[in-house]
Amino acid sequence: MDFSPLTDALSSKSYGKIADICDELMLKGAAEMEGVPFEEEWPFAIHLLAHIYVNDINSARYLWKSIPAAVKERQPEVVAAWRIGQRLWTRDYAAVHEAIRAFDWSQQIQPLVVAFSEVYTKRMFQLLLSAYSTIGIQDTALFLGMNEDDATNYVVQQGWVVDPDSRMLTVKKQPVKTEQKLDSSKLHRLTEYVFHLEH
Amino acid sequence: MYTVESLVAQIQGLSSSAGDLSLLLTHLKQADEFLHNESTRLFPFLEQLDPTLHSLGYLYILEASTSGPVTNEQARRLVLLISRFLTSCVADQIRLAPEKFIAVCKSFKDQVLMLEAPIRGVVPLLEAVKKLRSSEHLTTLHPDFLQICLLAKCYKTGFSILEDDIFEVDQPRDFYLYCYYGGMICIGQKRFQKALELLHNVVTAPMSSINAIAVEAFKKYVLVSLIYNGQIYAGGFEVLFGFHSLTRLFLPFEQLYIELANTYSIGKISELETYIQTNREKFDSDNNLGLVKQVVSSMYKRNIQRLTQTYLTLSLQDIANTVQLSSPKEAEMHVLQMIQDGEIYATINQRDGMVRFLEDPEQYKTCEMIEHIDSSIQRIMTLSKKLTAMDELISCDPLYLAKVGRERQRFDFDDFDSVPQKFNI
Repeated sequence: MDFSPLTDALSSKSYGKIADICDELMLKGAAEMEGVPFEEEWPFAIHLLAHIYVNDINSARYLWKSIPAAVKERQPEVVAAWRIGQRLWTRDYAAVHEAIRAFDWSQQIQPLVVAFSEVYTKRMFQLLLSAYSTIGIQDTALFLGMNEDDATNYVVQQGWVVDPDSRMLTVKKQPVKTEQKLDSSKLHRLTEYVFHLEH
Repeated sequence: MYTVESLVAQIQGLSSSAGDLSLLLTHLKQADEFLHNESTRLFPFLEQLDPTLHSLGYLYILEASTSGPVTNEQARRLVLLISRFLTSCVADQIRLAPEKFIAVCKSFKDQVLMLEAPIRGVVPLLEAVKKLRSSEHLTTLHPDFLQICLLAKCYKTGFSILEDDIFEVDQPRDFYLYCYYGGMICIGQKRFQKALELLHNVVTAPMSSINAIAVEAFKKYVLVSLIYNGQIYAGGFEVLFGFHSLTRLFLPFEQLYIELANTYSIGKISELETYIQTNREKFDSDNNLGLVKQVVSSMYKRNIQRLTQTYLTLSLQDIANTVQLSSPKEAEMHVLQMIQDGEIYATINQRDGMVRFLEDPEQYKTCEMIEHIDSSIQRIMTLSKKLTAMDELISCDPLYLAKVGRERQRFDFDDFDSVPQKFNI
């Protein structure tokens, strides 16, 4: 099997593309295999993490279900990768960080895991931002996967306010900026629809 | 009299231009019976042909050699051979003999299943579907491809062909299976709206007697409707088809599921769970237990959603009590998940333990929204044009006109109505 598209994507850190690359390579490899089953040499851990990275937990779950039991037994890293996916699937927000830290990732996979961890922390921050008006420091730390001091610093930089007595944070919403420039041809087309409907 | 050698020579000589190919097709059709008689000794000859250059001839020989029963050992070799053929053959050539191509694909699917390696069939069958279909036409290979995707757990790949609109169908059975398997793929991807649309096609399809595909589709249709809409019918469909006639048709078969929908409509988690617990084995033997569990969690969501219509703010404790959750923390997690999924708009205030429900922030004035509305209008316009074209086609159809003419005489009692029936020709 030719892994060069995958290794290229890994070395150029285009982690968002890896899931699709892996899907394609795996299915092609499966169709063309002779003798040795492709499962023997397939990098399941990377494939799982790639789905997780783009937040496609469904695909990660189906991939996990299709991995042969022997592979799961032999490669603890595959199991560790799925443990992250499992926490995401059950929306056990804080446990995702634990699952990331709980395994000593191999050199090849380490950068991917670190990249996911950063993306996930950002995602969690956005979630807290959209869902809370006030939230405890302890919970914030759990969601962001940091200790309480780091978490407080992180959110204070984004303009949140700490109340040391109640150990609560007040969330500062960021105004959402959207591009409002309208193409005149679009407007023209919509005008034509309305004109058409009225006549 | 034919020999295989002479046929191979003909294939090699007559595979370049369109004229040659139609001549070759006539030869091959005549030799088809001979090839089938010789099926056991055809394999070595395939090596003399190129699947890309000689696609048509390759196809005829391949079809003849796979037409008989295949042993496990042969399947191992054949799967590789056919999958290479399917990926490298030329669409224009194989379309000259679609029935042969379909036969080869069907036997390929059987062999892949025999080897218990459905994943090996995904890419070749996808290629086959792409090569055989013309736009908007459902091939008989569509359902086979989807089935293989389901078995290989390649839901994402299967989903990719469901986005194409289908307007032409040859065999009703292909369409039922396509919609049923497609519905299952969408359920796996949690694209419930699309799943509902596909399953709805099966459940409401005109059929003289009820069939197994429709019964299974109906079960899933009920469950997905509950998850997505909280009730069985979807929006305005009941006006069109009559929800009651739908249930009456399926009632003798699927009491279990209709009863589930009735229990759901009461809105009490405890009653729903008792009902499911009592009938657990039945749902399990239908392979629907996973969906049934999603029905339960959808009820929590629906009950929380209902609260947003009544209250502006509510304490987490009150939410937990009304929705039958064990603690305020659990209520908080439910609300958080729903905010994450965009199912409600709210902010949680941990300090006071309160949730404030908000209006949908969408104000329908962004560029994306205009973009979205515009593309919807475009789609509807295309659809409407299609419908008009179809309508005109039917109103010119002599068979239809003859039938309507007959029935008019039979049913037209109104003698005062002397205005001649107008047809849209």
